[in-house]
Amino acid sequence: MNLNDAPQRIRWLTVAILVGLAVIISILDATGNLDAAFGVLRDPLTAVLRITSGGADTVAGALSGPRDLEAARAEIAVLQAQVDDLERENEELREIQGEYQLLLDLFNRARQTPEYTRQTASVIGRDTSPAIDSIIIDKGSDDGVRVGMPVESARGLVGRVFRTTGRSAQVALITDNASAIPARLGNSRATGLLRGGELGGSLLMDWIDLKYQVEVGEVALTSGLGGEFPQGIVIGRVIEVNRSEAELSQQALVQPATDFDSLEVVFVITDFQPLDVDIFSNPPGN
Amino acid sequence: MRLGIYVAIPVMLVLAVLQTAVLPRFPILGLVPQLSFLVALSWGLLRGLEEGLVWGFIAGLTLDLFSIGPLGATAVAYMAAILVVSGLVRALPENRFFIPVLMAVVGSAVYLFVYLLFVRLLGFASSVETAVTLAPLIVLNAGFMLPVYWLIYWLDRLIHPRRVEL
Repeated sequence: MNLNDAPQRIRWLTVAILVGLAVIISILDATGNLDAAFGVLRDPLTAVLRITSGGADTVAGALSGPRDLEAARAEIAVLQAQVDDLERENEELREIQGEYQLLLDLFNRARQTPEYTRQTASVIGRDTSPAIDSIIIDKGSDDGVRVGMPVESARGLVGRVFRTTGRSAQVALITDNASAIPARLGNSRATGLLRGGELGGSLLMDWIDLKYQVEVGEVALTSGLGGEFPQGIVIGRVIEVNRSEAELSQQALVQPATDFDSLEVVFVITDFQPLDVDIFSNPPGN
Repeated sequence: MRLGIYVAIPVMLVLAVLQTAVLPRFPILGLVPQLSFLVALSWGLLRGLEEGLVWGFIAGLTLDLFSIGPLGATAVAYMAAILVVSGLVRALPENRFFIPVLMAVVGSAVYLFVYLLFVRLLGFASSVETAVTLAPLIVLNAGFMLPVYWLIYWLDRLIHPRRVEL
């Protein structure tokens, strides 16, 4: 036995053990066997996220408004204390206006589709993987949020709840690679499948029948086909149409109505029952 | 090695929280630098393959807690990148400025390739277009590598002070 080989053997043993462990964890997680165990870990981490996210908002707000700050300084020099008071009052009013706008949006969404109950949630984090588009919200199974529930913003569809813990949930966005939503266009009534993963965060509507004359500017809505989303939720607007007579179908590029970069508050539709299509995948009698 | 692991766990947890809650508010080219990866890579360059792998494993697992991707996928990809970089760095001359940046480029490319391949094998969607969209991340990581590397160099010196014989 050559003792000089020992460190080399230990090194490759470490590599083998770590890679093996990671692969086993991945497989267990993909088959849903680790949800309970890691849910316990994720909950306290979510509490930390909530605090950190609040701090980050404050810093981002301060950094995004240097021009206002400079303007305010110039005014203070001229009008001194009086303007200072007015500025403070103005800031308070803006805060109230923001809250009012949020409540108004929520009210409007609820009025448009009164048949659905919504749970308001704050966005507290984003997916750490650059290849996956998802967000973390501060409402979980304790608040009635369940896997598969549709999530929307005041402007349009956001995605679907992918995983929940007691106090948080991860939402897969419609811009993610894996996202495929049956959609309908507002004017032409053409149907197709909206897929994520396009450059610049846009969506590609595929399998549109050539008989439809799709126009730029048409609104894309959920069609309700497949039973995963309620019918009629705004997704976005057509910005480009790719029509070729040589193809069997045409495609349209859709810009999502929701600005995912500045998304702060979302609504989870809690009483929509997704259709269970698994019964069609099992042969009768099984 | 053991001390390094005890340091790695809190460091990687803090970085994972930063990565999910803070950095996405300040995106560059629509992307955020992967600080956890750069820290693990720097540790591997400074402390050797084994410690680098352990740091990569912990970094990957903590990040996957905040992702809808399969748990462990990032750990596999990080370890693959550190493994390749550790093999490559032996063939290159020692340099504390150029080499870390070059290794960040190579490591990020290997990470992206292995991650996209691995998640695809587990049934998640990934494509060549995804890889093209994420290519600027390689440049972004390279841009952040030097400050991270020197910070880790300082941390390493703090944890493992060099013995000087008089």
